[in-house]
Amino acid sequence: MTNQDLLYHYFSNSLTAEQEVVFKKLLETDAEFKAAFEYENSLKKAIKSHESDVLKSKLQEFELELNSKKTHAFNYRYLAVAASIVLLVSWFGYNTFFGTNYSNLYQDNFIEYPNTVYTITRGDDDETLEREAFVAYETQNFETAIEKFDAVSETGAQDYIPFYKAQAYLGLENTHQANVLLKQIVAENTSDFVAESIWYLALIAIKEKDKAQAKTYLNNLISNYNYNQAKAKTLLEELN
Amino acid sequence: MESVQKNITIEDLKQGSDLLFKQIYENNRDKFLNFARKYNLSHEDNIDVYQDAYIIFYNNVMQGKIEEFTSSISTYLFSIGKYLIFDKMKKNNKTINPDFDLSIIREQNELVDASFELDNEALTTEQVLLKKYFGTLGAKCQELLTLFYYRGYTIKDIITATEYTSENVVKSAKSRCMKTLKERINNNSND
Repeated sequence: MTNQDLLYHYFSNSLTAEQEVVFKKLLETDAEFKAAFEYENSLKKAIKSHESDVLKSKLQEFELELNSKKTHAFNYRYLAVAASIVLLVSWFGYNTFFGTNYSNLYQDNFIEYPNTVYTITRGDDDETLEREAFVAYETQNFETAIEKFDAVSETGAQDYIPFYKAQAYLGLENTHQANVLLKQIVAENTSDFVAESIWYLALIAIKEKDKAQAKTYLNNLISNYNYNQAKAKTLLEELN
Repeated sequence: MESVQKNITIEDLKQGSDLLFKQIYENNRDKFLNFARKYNLSHEDNIDVYQDAYIIFYNNVMQGKIEEFTSSISTYLFSIGKYLIFDKMKKNNKTINPDFDLSIIREQNELVDASFELDNEALTTEQVLLKKYFGTLGAKCQELLTLFYYRGYTIKDIITATEYTSENVVKSAKSRCMKTLKERINNNSND
C-alpha cells in the first residue's frame, strides 16, 4: 500500500486498524508524508468552511423568507383588524350614531314641494316675475327660480315666496341657504308654510346627520301640526 | 412536527435534501430561540447562534461523525448552542451573569458525542488560500473534492453518487482538480 493509498483511506474514513497504526507511525517519522497529510487536511478544513458558508447563506435566506411570511401574516392580520374596525364603525355609525342611512332617508322623503300657490296656464300672458319664477321652479331651473324669487321679494312678495325659494335651494342641494330661509319662516310663524318648513328642516337635519335636531323638528311637527303626520311618525321611528 | 422529526434518520439527512435541511431548521427554530432567550443575547445574536449550531450539527452528520441519533435533533442543537452562546458572550465582552449556570457547559460534554467537531478554530493562512481558490474551481471539481474531503466518500461511493464510471476516472479527475488548485494558489503567490 502506497502512502497515497493510506491518505486516501484516511480521508474516506476507511482505514483498517492495521493501516491506522502504519498511518500514525508515518506521521511521526516521515516529514514528506506529514506535509502531504497536512495539506490535504487543510484542504478538508477549507472545503468544510466553504460548505459552511454555503449553508449559512441558505439559512439566512430561510430567515428572510420566515420574516417575510411573518410580515405578510402581520399585514393580513392588520388588514383583518382594519376591516373589522371598518365594519364595526360602519355598524356603529349606521345603528347608533347616524341611527340609519340618512342619505337614503333624505332621498326617500324629499320631494320638492309642488307649486300650489301660483297657477300657470297655457296662453297665460301674465309676464310677471312671479310667473317666471314659478315656471323656472316647475321646470327645475332652480337657479333662475331663485333669481326670480329674489326679484319678486324686492317688490313686496307673497309670504310663500321664501318657502319656494328655500325649495329651489334644496333642489340645488344648497341646504344651508334653505335652512336659513326655513328657520326664518318658522320663527316668524306668519306663513302658511310653517308646518311644511318644519318638515323640510327635519329632512335637512337628517341629511346633515343631526339626529337630535331632526327628532326635535319631527316631534314638533307631530305635536303641533297636521302636515305629514304619518310620514313624520314613520321617520321618527326609523331614527329611533 | 415532532413526529416528523422523530422519523428523520441520519441517512435521510445525508441524502442532502434542501427541503429536509430547511424543514429541520424551521421546526427547531422557535424552540431554540426560546431556550436561548435566557442568556440575554440580542435576537440577532440568537439567530446567528442557532444558524451556526445548526451548521455544526449538519456538518457532523454529513461528515459521518454521528452514526445514529442518540437524542432528538433539538437536544443536539441546544447542546451545541450552549457552547456557541458562551463563546458569543465572551466575544461580546459580556460580563457573565453571576446566575449563569456554568454547569451547562460541563453538561455539554455529556450531551454531545465525543467525536463531535465544534469548528471553533480559525482557518490558517494556507487554509484561507485553499478555500479561496477552491471556490474558483469548476463545479465538477468542487463536487468531487467536496464528496471526498467533506463527505468522506470512498471512490466507490463517489461512483454511486455521480456520473463517474470507474475508479480510475475518479482518481485521475481528483488528481487533476488537486493539481489545478495547487497551480492557482502558486500562480497567485508568484504575482
